[in-house]
Amino acid sequence: MRYAFFPGCVLEGAAKENYIATTAVAKALGIELVEIPGWTCCGASHVQDVNDLAATAINARNIALAEQMGLPLLTVCNTCTLMLRKAKTKLDNGQKDQVNGILAKAGIKYEGTSEITHLLWVLIRDYGLNKLQGLIKRPLIGLKVAGYYGCHILRPPAVMDFEDHANPQSLENLIRAIGAKPVDFAAKLKCCGFHATYTAEPDVIRITGETNQSAAEAGADCIVTPCPLCQMSLDMNQTEGQTAVGCKQEMPVLHLAQLVGLALGLSPEELGINMLIAGRELIKARIS
Amino acid sequence: MRKITYKIERFDGVNNFVQEYSFPYQPGKTILWGLITIKDSLDPTLAFTAACRSAVCGACAVRVNGQAVLACETPLDAILERFGDTLTIAPIQNFKVIRDLVVDWEPQAARLAEAKTWLQPRDEFDARKGCRQTAADFKKINTQAACILCGSCASECSKLSANDQDFLEPFTYSKVWKFVADTRDKSAAERIQAIQDKGLWKCMHCAECITKCPKGLAPGEDIARLRQLSIKMGYTGNPGARHALSFVKDIEDTGRLNEAKLQVRTIGLISSIAKFPMALRLLRRGKLNPFHFPGKVKGHEQIQAILKAVRESEK
Ligand code: SF4
Ligand code: SF4
Ligand code: FES
Repeated sequence: MRYAFFPGCVLEGAAKENYIATTAVAKALGIELVEIPGWTCCGASHVQDVNDLAATAINARNIALAEQMGLPLLTVCNTCTLMLRKAKTKLDNGQKDQVNGILAKAGIKYEGTSEITHLLWVLIRDYGLNKLQGLIKRPLIGLKVAGYYGCHILRPPAVMDFEDHANPQSLENLIRAIGAKPVDFAAKLKCCGFHATYTAEPDVIRITGETNQSAAEAGADCIVTPCPLCQMSLDMNQTEGQTAVGCKQEMPVLHLAQLVGLALGLSPEELGINMLIAGRELIKARIS
Repeated sequence: MRKITYKIERFDGVNNFVQEYSFPYQPGKTILWGLITIKDSLDPTLAFTAACRSAVCGACAVRVNGQAVLACETPLDAILERFGDTLTIAPIQNFKVIRDLVVDWEPQAARLAEAKTWLQPRDEFDARKGCRQTAADFKKINTQAACILCGSCASECSKLSANDQDFLEPFTYSKVWKFVADTRDKSAAERIQAIQDKGLWKCMHCAECITKCPKGLAPGEDIARLRQLSIKMGYTGNPGARHALSFVKDIEDTGRLNEAKLQVRTIGLISSIAKFPMALRLLRRGKLNPFHFPGKVKGHEQIQAILKAVRESEK
């Protein structure tokens, strides 16, 4: 299994641990990730606020680079996945000629031959949870995990059509497959507010506090999310969030690849667990 | 016999309580059919609103297991398949509840009126000549014109749920955009100016509104359209616009983001320093490297050619 890997800016910056974990997990599973040479920022749900066509065109280039490699494009970020898929949806539904006119100035062409997928979907649809189960070395028996989807892996469903947006089950199925126990919690489909970090900060802090509290009240030992931006929002704001909602319980927030990596028997160091802000020691104690 | 159960979040004017009703399943029905069945055969005191029963009046929006839907057009079978035979039915969120599933639209109507969401005809029109536009011009605002004011988008809006004092209902932004883009309207500039301090940059991009709208509107995307136009009109002095412009600049300069610069450009150096505790936490865990300046990506000249071509195509 080979994919054109689109790490996204946040894996180069504030979520390096997810780069480390994703690479380690892919290696352990025998999934080959070939980083796309020359990929650029997907626009992070902001560029369309300046210029919609620019957002589509830069992502048409990103996708075209994967097409040149003859591989499906894999990301590990909800927002990257949405931005790329949104561009692809527009290109495949009438905007292709217009945008190819623009790409021609740069000597590239969008064909429409590469799918855009996310690590979570790959593990479930391409790799298969049975196969994954066969490789588990450290079944996380008894670990109660709150699966937090984040908006952009589900919404809008016209672009993100992997599963039912109102009752998704992929995270729960994955959590079960690695031996842990999914917990149902009220905030499972909520927004982390990341994209309004600078413009609505008090709201963002409170809603992240509410989400962590909701997981704590449901008895979760940790949260897992397929989105590094959600992870950052829930992890980085934790102290302020706790104060805002009056909940003192520390809540580790793991990247998807970190949780899978722990079950595959990788060490916390190999998965960048040390770079989490909240709950590092809780997780280490729980698996030792 | 298969039974369906609705657990309804009720309110009698003083107390909130949950009441369970079970009734026999019938195939091919809607959520609204269940409510009517309860009112007709089990409990005439249950209050809900519905008029057209054909997804036109917008009166029947309710939350089913936490998701706003139009009761009259939502097939019961599909929902039962999704959630099983017991459903929780609640009034839509972010509205004041009058009784049971009935909400008060008065405050929202007043907020909508503040945004002056009615046509301000151009001076060339008058009562005799009317106010015509071409079919092609109407097509540009056709989608937004289809809003039935059901409130589903407002019910699930992440920003509105967090704080409605500095944000409007998503449908209001769609209506403002509709008039901004309407060739018969003369007040686009005033409308853009007025929306600046009405939460324009506070939308969280959660896409709940786009997901929940039964009429195919995308208020979140209309917000993006309003933002684009306001940047074009020169409203760039706020953190939201600065943040968005900063992304474009980083992509054009190197292809990738520079997180340290991003923060300073968005909120300014002084506020960045005020964020010190958070930054320190990131630094300490090795997540933020102030000395990381991403070099230009391979094929960077392609990006510049693309962005230049985009600008030229829009001249
Ligand atoms: S995308 Fe924006 S307007 Fe739409 S529901 Fe989310 S926060 Fe509200
Ligand atoms: S925009 Fe859609 S969901 Fe919102 S009030 Fe109008 S019709 Fe209902
Ligand atoms: S009853 Fe009119 S929209 Fe449902």
